[in-house]
Amino acid sequence: MGRIVFAGAMSHVLDPDYYDRACGELGRRSVVAAMDEIARMGERLSATNPDALIVVADDHLNAFSFNCVPALCVRIGRRVQRMVQDHAEAFDKVLDHMPTEYPLHEALGNAILEQGLAAGFDLAMSWEAPVDHAFLSPINTMHGARPIPPLVPIFVNAFVAPQPTARRCFAFGQHIARVVAQSPWKVGIIATGGLSHFPELSLPRVGETDTVFDRRLIHWMETGEHGPLQELTADELHKTGSHEFLNWMVLLGAVTPARAEVRYFGELPRINLAAVEWRLA
Amino acid sequence: MEARVSRYEVNSLLYRLKKDPEFRARFVANADAALAGADLTDAERAAFVARDMRKINELGGYLHLVMSIPGLAGH
Repeated sequence: MGRIVFAGAMSHVLDPDYYDRACGELGRRSVVAAMDEIARMGERLSATNPDALIVVADDHLNAFSFNCVPALCVRIGRRVQRMVQDHAEAFDKVLDHMPTEYPLHEALGNAILEQGLAAGFDLAMSWEAPVDHAFLSPINTMHGARPIPPLVPIFVNAFVAPQPTARRCFAFGQHIARVVAQSPWKVGIIATGGLSHFPELSLPRVGETDTVFDRRLIHWMETGEHGPLQELTADELHKTGSHEFLNWMVLLGAVTPARAEVRYFGELPRINLAAVEWRLA
Repeated sequence: MEARVSRYEVNSLLYRLKKDPEFRARFVANADAALAGADLTDAERAAFVARDMRKINELGGYLHLVMSIPGLAGH
């Protein structure tokens, strides 16, 4: 019988130069401290010798353009490629030094997809979507030079309204847990993004965060109170700049009722950086 | 609901500027000419010609696109 052997969530622009440009020396110091904790989380993940790593993250209009924006999409196939961007700027630039191709756990991806459709989740599938910093920055920070386990990338539409609801993301996470439990594999799962930044996706408001809201989310995760989290509305997430918390909701559904332990929380003008790990039974 | 899902023209243009280096070069050389066939309102066209990313964002351009178009990004 399979099980989830590691669960963690973390911010996903893990680039000292980016935060130096955005927030100065404090930004650099903060993200380096966050990355140190995320690297230690990666060591604990590797110690479980997982068969697969599920990565729940969002696309930033890189993989999916305006031909289709899936609410929830399982990236299937045997390999996934890094997003390619010429003359990359801002958060895209973090990808420049990373490996260009990663193995997938084809059987687990197919199981989540096929059993999901059978269970009533109208999931999208992709054989070709590349992955951007939301996926690759955390997994490379976690693993450093160690091998990265076969991945199952799962895309959540965090930004293009209308998004899936927090409750639906949580339910999808519960589905993932059921699939893993019926499988023969030891599986790690991470969710990426956040915490609050870019409220209302408004350029003049870049630089604002909502620390009160973030601390409320953290409190509920630490105490295992997942009911209020499922009540979060699209409007709340949009106004506070917590769009990417939908990724975390999938993970919460997969590990509920486990409680979270905060490994790092740091306030910056641009974003509140976070790294969180769950105590699994 | 209409306002949140109807910005296709603005965003498809932003996406093309980000992902199509040849189109981006034509836009940088002559924005008016590059936008000649685009189905934009006068306000949208003026914002693109002025490369005013704040205005483009205000008109419905997605933040992650306006922040990441090489050489044109708003910060």
